[in-house]
Amino acid sequence: MEPPNLYPVKLYVYDLSKGLARRLSPIMLGKQLEGIWHTSIVVHKDEFYFGSGGISSCPPGGTLLGPPDSVVDVGSTEVTEELFQEYLSSLGESLFRREAYNIFENNCNTFTNEVAQFLTGRKIPSYITDLPSEILSTQPLPTPGPYLSANSDSVSPELGPCPTKILAGLAGLARPFGQALRPFLDPIQIQPHGGSPIGRPNGQS
Amino acid sequence: MARAREEARDSQLVSGREPTSRIIRVSVKTPQDCQEFMLAENSSVHHFKKQISKRLHYDTDRLVLIFTGKILRDQDILSQRGIFDGTTVNLVVRTRLKGTLPGPGTLPGPTDHCTHHSEPSTSESAGMLARLGRLAQSSPELTDFLGQLAQLLTAAPESVVQFLENPVIQGLVNEKPAKARQAPESSRQNPQKPEPTLKALETLQNPARQQELLQANKQDLEALTAVPGGDNAMRPVCSDIQQFMLFTLAPLVASKGQNPASELCKEEANAHSNTDTTITIPTASAPARPLTQKVRAGQATQARSVASNQTHSGCGLRMPDINSGHNLLSQESQQPIGKATLTSQLRPSPSALCKALHVLQQNPALLHQLASGSPLQHHLPLLPILTNPRALQALIQIEKGLQILSKEVPGLGRCLWDPDDTKMIMLTMMMMIRTL
Repeated sequence: MEPPNLYPVKLYVYDLSKGLARRLSPIMLGKQLEGIWHTSIVVHKDEFYFGSGGISSCPPGGTLLGPPDSVVDVGSTEVTEELFQEYLSSLGESLFRREAYNIFENNCNTFTNEVAQFLTGRKIPSYITDLPSEILSTQPLPTPGPYLSANSDSVSPELGPCPTKILAGLAGLARPFGQALRPFLDPIQIQPHGGSPIGRPNGQS
Repeated sequence: MARAREEARDSQLVSGREPTSRIIRVSVKTPQDCQEFMLAENSSVHHFKKQISKRLHYDTDRLVLIFTGKILRDQDILSQRGIFDGTTVNLVVRTRLKGTLPGPGTLPGPTDHCTHHSEPSTSESAGMLARLGRLAQSSPELTDFLGQLAQLLTAAPESVVQFLENPVIQGLVNEKPAKARQAPESSRQNPQKPEPTLKALETLQNPARQQELLQANKQDLEALTAVPGGDNAMRPVCSDIQQFMLFTLAPLVASKGQNPASELCKEEANAHSNTDTTITIPTASAPARPLTQKVRAGQATQARSVASNQTHSGCGLRMPDINSGHNLLSQESQQPIGKATLTSQLRPSPSALCKALHVLQQNPALLHQLASGSPLQHHLPLLPILTNPRALQALIQIEKGLQILSKEVPGLGRCLWDPDDTKMIMLTMMMMIRTL
């Protein structure tokens, strides 16, 4: 029996903040984050990713994000394109439905991790999958003290009303800053543009 | 589980060594959920699949097990593949068995009208419609024609409908290899120049197939009218269709009178300069003979000689054969039409036309033969008129007016009309309408 074909599997890693996270995270979160990572799996000459619009595919590097910031070699797989499409369709109807997207719990990296394990048995690098917990566990900012109150009138003129309101609201919180941010961040839906949703093999048109 | 233990025991007995196979717990992960299975570590993948099949109720043929990116073959042993206690394998359940693909021939481009079927008739028509679709896409003329055909289909009586459909199908299909029609599964990309006439004739001679095609194609042809046109590739086909449309009626006319026949032959002779269609003549004429003989056999033969005499004078190659097929018309031609002058309109009997239509319907080969022999390019505009009932009505009114006019002012009628072309048009219009 002839050996089955091996297809390379790559992980495309994009920094959604385009470098801002690296520069501003120490200030904003009190810890160093290298980036806000969005990942996709590239196999069979197609890029697959999960966003708020469900599982999508595009030519490699074909989203509006442009070329990836880094490429990680995940390994090789024997899974054929046809089989992979069936698997993705199945995923798209269960664990990775469009409505199931959550920026912390079930995001693009969750998807990529799942697919990578399916295809090669290996996981994606931990710095990517650990990102949500990194953000959520950040320590609170040093509180500005009694000067800042919920009353925005007493705010110094340099700060605009908006950030002071947020800060005021958070000042009294004992939770980690990231947790406090969660209600604001949770509804965020990320969907890189440029791809098309995948469907059942015989239903695609 | 008991089976696994049995297997383990068996392997111990065979090997005669210390028991090495343990029962392991393997997780099977699907996109939907994850389940655990207990089995011996040296059991085969096939055995594993059977267990999965029992619990999840999927056919083993549809199960695909993947571990570390490798697809597990049925004859593999779990431990050899690195599957130990606590490992997880992935499972994909195929939606359909490998090898059973959807039916052939979808309409390319904008339409999905043609669904896949496994029955031969529909798949055949599906394949054919794929070609029709492609053809229709490439020519605005053909699209118009199909549109009018669709109109006529809804309005016209059965015989005319079938008459039109068969030759249309013939003409269209003859642009593509006819063997594709016979083999519905065959590829659509076959670009060979048709040697198809013979085969097309054979296939269409089968009345059962004709019926199937007609049934399936009626709606599909109408659907095809929605397909936008655009290319010149269809022009030859279009003209072919129009040609045989005309030619079906041309011999009818020809059989009525000597003079019209010779006139027709003159036009034919002019058109014979078209080399493309002459290629099909030899092949067409060959099967034409058996067909015409068929027709002959089924028809009365009284007036055959009359028809032959009429047509032999100055007629083209195939006319005698073809017209002998229309001998039934000659019966009707006993009416003193032959005496009518060239310039006046001919009055073939409607029933003759009806019968002629039936004959042609039964022998679409004749139509194509007629059509392919002599492209009357200048008759192209006839087709929309022929197929559009309202246009027909309008022409009839015009014709009647001209009749009156010619009676009142004998010399005037000719001046108003281009004699040759429009005479043909008028004649055919009349005949068509009277049968409707």
